[in-house]
Amino acid sequence: MNSLVLLILIIAGGALLSYFGHKINKILGNITVFAVALIIPIYWFTQVDFTETVSFTVSGFHMELGYNMYGRLFSMIVMILSPLALIYAIGYMKDQKKLATFYFSFLFSILGMTGILMSRDFVSLFIFWEIMTWSSYLLVIFLGKDVQKTGIKYMVFSAIGAYAMLMAIVIIYKNTGSMMLSDYFGSFAGFTLQTKLLTGILLLLGFAVKSAVMPFHVWAPGAYSNTPMAYTSVFSGALSKMGIYGLGFVVVNLFAQANLEIVGYVLAWLGAITAVLATFSAVFQHDAKKLLAYSSIAQLGYIVTGIGIGTELSIMAGLYLAVLHAAFKGVLFMVVGAVERQAGTTDMNVVSGLVRKMPFTFFTALIAIIALAGIPPLGGFVGKWMLYESLINNGNFLMVIMIFLSSTAAFLYCFKFLFGLFLGQQELEFDHVKEASPIMIIPMLLLSVFLLVTGAYPGIVFKYIAEGMTNLGFHNVNWQMSVLTNAWGDSVNVQHVYLSVVVVFVAFLIFITWRGYKHATKISTKDISSSGEMIKPEDNMTYAMDFYKPFERVLSPILKYKINKYYEDFGKGLEALFDFMRRIYTGNGQTYAVYVIVFLAILLIFSKSIFGY
Amino acid sequence: MEGIGYKILGAVLTTILAFVVGMFYGGFSRKITARIQNRVGPPVWQNFLDVLKLLFKKTSVRYGFMHHIAPLWMISMSITTLMFVPVLNDGLFFTNLNFSGDIIFLLYIMVMGSLGMALGAGSTGNPNSAIGVSRGLTQMVGFEIPWVMALVALMIQYKTTSVTGLMEVQSQSGTWLMFSSPFAFIAALLAMPGMFRYSPFDIVGAPSELASGPISEFGGKYLSTMMTSGSIFAFVKLTLYVDIFMGGASNLIVLVLKTFTLYMYPVLWGTVSARFRTEQSVRYFWGWPTFFGFIALIYAAF
Amino acid sequence: MVITDPVYFIALPLLTAFLLPLFGKIYKPLIGIIPGLVFAFLAYISFDLYLNLVPGKPIIIQMAGWAPPWGINLVFSEFSGLIVTLITFLAFLVWVYSYNFKKVGFDNSKKYFTLLMLMVAGSIGVVLTGDIFNMFVFLEITAISSYGLTAFYKGRDSAEAAFKYLLLGSLSSTFILLAILLLYKQVGTLNMADIAVKAQSIDPKMKSIIAILFFVGLGIEAEMFPMNGWVPDAYSQAPGPVAASFAGMLAKSGIYALIRVFYTVLEVDGVFDLLLIMGLLTIIFAEFSAMRQKHLRRMLAYSSIGQMGLIMVAFSFNTKAGIFAGLFLMFNHAIIKTLLFLSSGFLTYSTKQKKIRDLDGFGKIMPFTSLMFGLGAFAIVGLPPFSGFWGKLNMLVATADSNLYFVIALILLVAVVEIVYYFKVIGRLYFRQQHKEVEVHNPTWNAILAMSILAIVIIGVGIYPDLITGYLTKAANELFDKAGYIHSVLPNLSLN
Repeated sequence: MNSLVLLILIIAGGALLSYFGHKINKILGNITVFAVALIIPIYWFTQVDFTETVSFTVSGFHMELGYNMYGRLFSMIVMILSPLALIYAIGYMKDQKKLATFYFSFLFSILGMTGILMSRDFVSLFIFWEIMTWSSYLLVIFLGKDVQKTGIKYMVFSAIGAYAMLMAIVIIYKNTGSMMLSDYFGSFAGFTLQTKLLTGILLLLGFAVKSAVMPFHVWAPGAYSNTPMAYTSVFSGALSKMGIYGLGFVVVNLFAQANLEIVGYVLAWLGAITAVLATFSAVFQHDAKKLLAYSSIAQLGYIVTGIGIGTELSIMAGLYLAVLHAAFKGVLFMVVGAVERQAGTTDMNVVSGLVRKMPFTFFTALIAIIALAGIPPLGGFVGKWMLYESLINNGNFLMVIMIFLSSTAAFLYCFKFLFGLFLGQQELEFDHVKEASPIMIIPMLLLSVFLLVTGAYPGIVFKYIAEGMTNLGFHNVNWQMSVLTNAWGDSVNVQHVYLSVVVVFVAFLIFITWRGYKHATKISTKDISSSGEMIKPEDNMTYAMDFYKPFERVLSPILKYKINKYYEDFGKGLEALFDFMRRIYTGNGQTYAVYVIVFLAILLIFSKSIFGY
Repeated sequence: MEGIGYKILGAVLTTILAFVVGMFYGGFSRKITARIQNRVGPPVWQNFLDVLKLLFKKTSVRYGFMHHIAPLWMISMSITTLMFVPVLNDGLFFTNLNFSGDIIFLLYIMVMGSLGMALGAGSTGNPNSAIGVSRGLTQMVGFEIPWVMALVALMIQYKTTSVTGLMEVQSQSGTWLMFSSPFAFIAALLAMPGMFRYSPFDIVGAPSELASGPISEFGGKYLSTMMTSGSIFAFVKLTLYVDIFMGGASNLIVLVLKTFTLYMYPVLWGTVSARFRTEQSVRYFWGWPTFFGFIALIYAAF
Repeated sequence: MVITDPVYFIALPLLTAFLLPLFGKIYKPLIGIIPGLVFAFLAYISFDLYLNLVPGKPIIIQMAGWAPPWGINLVFSEFSGLIVTLITFLAFLVWVYSYNFKKVGFDNSKKYFTLLMLMVAGSIGVVLTGDIFNMFVFLEITAISSYGLTAFYKGRDSAEAAFKYLLLGSLSSTFILLAILLLYKQVGTLNMADIAVKAQSIDPKMKSIIAILFFVGLGIEAEMFPMNGWVPDAYSQAPGPVAASFAGMLAKSGIYALIRVFYTVLEVDGVFDLLLIMGLLTIIFAEFSAMRQKHLRRMLAYSSIGQMGLIMVAFSFNTKAGIFAGLFLMFNHAIIKTLLFLSSGFLTYSTKQKKIRDLDGFGKIMPFTSLMFGLGAFAIVGLPPFSGFWGKLNMLVATADSNLYFVIALILLVAVVEIVYYFKVIGRLYFRQQHKEVEVHNPTWNAILAMSILAIVIIGVGIYPDLITGYLTKAANELFDKAGYIHSVLPNLSLN
């Protein structure tokens, strides 16, 4: 059978099996999920034929599925992150209820994502897009927290985006007579400017909402933090990339090649603004989940900027950052989940000092944070470097400054994340915390290894990116295994960096540890230099609240304007409007009768203008 | 084989050079500050004595793995940064690995050291350390902006992103970038005291504020490593400035002269200024220095 | 030919309806069983006839052997047959559901089933007939039986709802009758095909008055704004399965009549633009009002009005694509709304005031019913892979075809609103804690069966819409082909 169809059936089947497995017995369900989590990527990596296509005609629309290199790149993200998250989920969700629905929705959203990346026509794209949306909606409201506000907000924004896409799709269909993506790209040049802008911007809107670009990001903080953390790693890591996938196509294939780069520029600016503002919001969060959520929005902002600019290097930067973001955000959300499970809360004003209790978790968090901050020698730096270079090469100096501002401010929340959860004082109430179970740690470790490796050998990712970019019209993209080059010929050899760091580190490690370490006694964090005061174990010495108060004071003029508030006001205005409209139905029968008579009278009076007589 | 041998030798020599020069500069600054404050002050080689003393002290307590590796982290980063900065214009020993790095890279790796220390400081649990770190990071957001603006302006103007590229521009045109891109220089110069954490931006480690801030819980070998790292790092920063704005140096004497001259600016200004609070420093940096940075950018773009 | 005569569609239910009490006297349970048999039989005939239809050759039955244009004839064509099949299928399912619907109570089941059968007979009659006065008669039968069904529970609210419905329904009957009278005066015939032929000769001023009267009169039945005030009350006060049949059968026959009059019988310029505007207004006011409803059934009622508005808009394009979309929407609405009303019947059974707020946490205690409701909600909003999606897609394509971009935007905006209020309910059902202890009335086996069948249809058509698209296309072609209709009914007429 066609391997693509089989892939879809496997995932759907896996979803149903997991559902029934969990309904019958928890252990059976977990085994099923584990098996499915392994089968899907194994099948994808070994059996799927990427040159195959399958087409069918439904209801008069010709639909086709097939991979191209660009879709394959994103599929790799999905196929690596999702199974790891599923395995992690087995441990994370151990004591929760309604597991059947959880795994069903999880796998269905994977189905949606996989389908999107295989779609060659708009109808399949939309179908899978919607499947992904409603299955992720079920997970957003899974824990029952803030269901109405968060869930509805998510659904409304996703719906607006998706329906904008749908509108674009039907207009495209009218103009080209076909639903195939390739036909759209081919005949784009021939559209009127109005149609070009209309369809393109509508499509962009749909994708931009999923990528949480400002000002469409308001659903993200709530959605990312209220979902079970096992799913958020996929939610933030892979699902948001679906929007990026679309943005890449639209911006590059359409606008850049049709001399409408201004749209890309606007998008890039939105990305930069998103990066800055979201980072600032992240800095002041005290809940680790919300911090990561805003951080995700900011990172997506970088990626969007990269793609919006549209040069070869910038798109490479954007796509590379996308891949890496999936990895390190995946790890970070898993870390937060582990902390939540073991310590009971993720509020950094409450938790602290878990480093000795959860060393592995801390280690993976450390690696992920370093990658997020973009510090060499880990992989995140590679992406940031390429982004800056491309912006400088292109002359967008203001954007460079903004991205840099965001990046520097990011260090603030990076440190806060590590410090707030793991370092600092160890409080008595968290003495009982134990390390997370292996089934949760192993996926995190695997992803960390990936981050470590790409620090020295980013080329392994470049390979797939370069292949993917051929679908965007960039052929023969230059890349090397360990050297990054920019348009002016300057380069950085990351391997050298890695080498240098490691050598020096090891040398000094030996130097310091030798004859020093074992003699020293390990003491608790309560034993600190405190000018003669005796600190008892129960004293809470954690510095956590208002961690960055000075910064807050500096930024207070900006922070006053919250986009969320505008939306809420708008929503309230709409509700008032609806209420007003509802009053037409007064419930009084005689009034209705009057309506009828009046309507008749109006029609009779105006019959001349309506009917012409 | 020959090349590798020379390279390693060169790396070690450069490190020692940086260490020595950095230590002496530290000593000089203490002496000069003392003189201005009408004291005698410690001898200029005092820093060496401090480091040596600390080296031989045993540490009897430790806080955990992060605490242990924080100083290591710092010094690896300092030395790595040193490797990628061209110390002399050319020459057998002192150019090291600078062919494979560039400005963006340097910007980031300079932050890495501080992150290491921040983590180490955090792992001790001392709230003073944590507060110190948070203030330090906040300040960093402050001074990085004009600093980056200056650099970006230069990069755009001369279409190169590596330090060697900028040095070539200076040697080709014969003038120092200090003069041909004055606004960038002013912005960078104004940002410099922030980078060195000298008054008025020394709130991070101020003893009267925070009991030494981040380095509160480090002693013995750790503290000596950190001091070493600090001095190397100071040298690196100075050299970087000299390379970019003052035409680099063709031999060690010229290098020492130029860096010392430059170094006097933060030292002297530091002795006569009062300390800023954190938000004041950020607001300061986002004020005039950023303004100059903007001018530099506009100047560079046209 | 004897078994599958379309006459049965009307004769059988009418007859049985009146004989039901007699059967009841003989053996009580028969009252419940006989309607089932009748509906099953009708469904069977309907499917058989429909599937064997030859395009271009609708089945014409001449009553009492009088050839048109003097006698009354029944037309079972691709279009009318489609609706009839839909109606009989739904009637059967409604019977399955209400077979032992407790609230109906055994004593009242006589009235219930009698009225139900009358309503079904009337609806089918409206669709099948080829004579305009006959259509009016059947509309009356349908109306009166539905008044009775609305007031079934004999409470104050039900009576009020029935009264409102009666009031507006009477206005509707008056206008339609007036229109027919005026028409008859002009053309001298009551046969629809014949009128179509003679339509040109009507005085234009007269024609517009007649058109307006029809528009308003039939509009009331078809739930057009601003005459649909009776709908929320009627739908929410009637018993669950009755509301389902209102949505599935009554409204369909109402809109059928409207379409038939303006597509086939009369030809009036500008009516389609008017229909478009009224349709859009219907949608807007209905959906926005639905947002504010706290009462589950009223919300569903407003949602129904909205769907009807959408169907009106589809038919207002006067293109084949539009008709196709409209038919698809009709099909979807009938099936999905029925499922929604049936499941909500059990959901609100346990709660006194039937408010949405009271439904918190029902997902746990009534899993099957909640699932059915959830499925219906997903489907009607238009999410793939359910049948509602294909309907919406075709609707949008048809709209784009007619270059009405802003209508597309409006439809999609309304879709977002739909999502909000439906998903609010789903959120309460599944992801909130139960309020207080409620008595759970689990659905009976037959209710489960009925709902499952509907669910299977929804999923089936969702995954493979081509199951029905063929029939829809044929129906669309037939409706669009006015001359064909006339020709089949009046074969002896030479067209000038």
